[in-house]
Amino acid sequence: MDFFTSMDISSSGMAAERTRMNLISSNIANANSTRTSAGGPYKRKDPVFSAVPATSGLKSPFERDGAMGVKKVEVAQIREDQTPPRIQYDPTHPDADEKGYVSLPNVNVIEEMVDMVSASRAYEANVTAAQAAKSMAMKTLDLLR
Amino acid sequence: MALDGIFNTTIRLLEKNLDLRAMNQNLISANLANAETPGYIPKRLSFEGELKDALKNRGGDTPPLTDPRHIPLNGRSAGLDRVQGTMIEAPDGSVGDDGNGVELENEMGRLAENQILYNATIQLAVKKFEGLKTAIKGSI
Repeated sequence: MDFFTSMDISSSGMAAERTRMNLISSNIANANSTRTSAGGPYKRKDPVFSAVPATSGLKSPFERDGAMGVKKVEVAQIREDQTPPRIQYDPTHPDADEKGYVSLPNVNVIEEMVDMVSASRAYEANVTAAQAAKSMAMKTLDLLR
Repeated sequence: MALDGIFNTTIRLLEKNLDLRAMNQNLISANLANAETPGYIPKRLSFEGELKDALKNRGGDTPPLTDPRHIPLNGRSAGLDRVQGTMIEAPDGSVGDDGNGVELENEMGRLAENQILYNATIQLAVKKFEGLKTAIKGSI
């Protein structure tokens, strides 16, 4: 039972939101990429978050954290959006099929922007929680003065 | 217990309060970290009422001494020591499509409240110790 657990949880949250932000940047940057190493157009990527028990390094058998079920967050997997690609008619495009249609990534830039704001706010919330834990820990040191 | 005169119920109460608030801080940061996790229901710790009750029923339920070497506990402090808080696992507002029940605004409010009350408790403990120090020194 300490504030390091709290900071550990907040940093897991920050790491998860950062991963999400990286994927959003990747989606926006590749909103028009028609070629990938796997073949076909780029597919939108999305993280799957999962709550896992938070365990600090040193744990005494009397600690209640386990029983209280405090959970940190983890990126369980990165999922590829399987919705069909956008189809555009452009016979001059090198990746057009025989009928002249090009398959473009299934990325909706507006959706990505909304996700980006949400990720950024969630990240800030985690930073605030970490700052609160830090200031509470520092305040505890006042008892020694 | 001779020392109970100096480190009386006040110190025990402050100590317990700090302990529970630190636990609450962990729960709040867990809720914030999982603000986007599908199916996550936020948890919070409720203990104010329990602390109040423990303070009210002084004596009464002092644990029985089963061994002569046991140190008798002051009834009130013993009640305080047993306060663990109740964990409430309920969504803050409506649960979204993904089953997540965290509302960022509520959590931020609770975070600030918990932090302020923790700092206030520390301040009270500091003042209490300062008072003791003054009494021990015998001069101002």
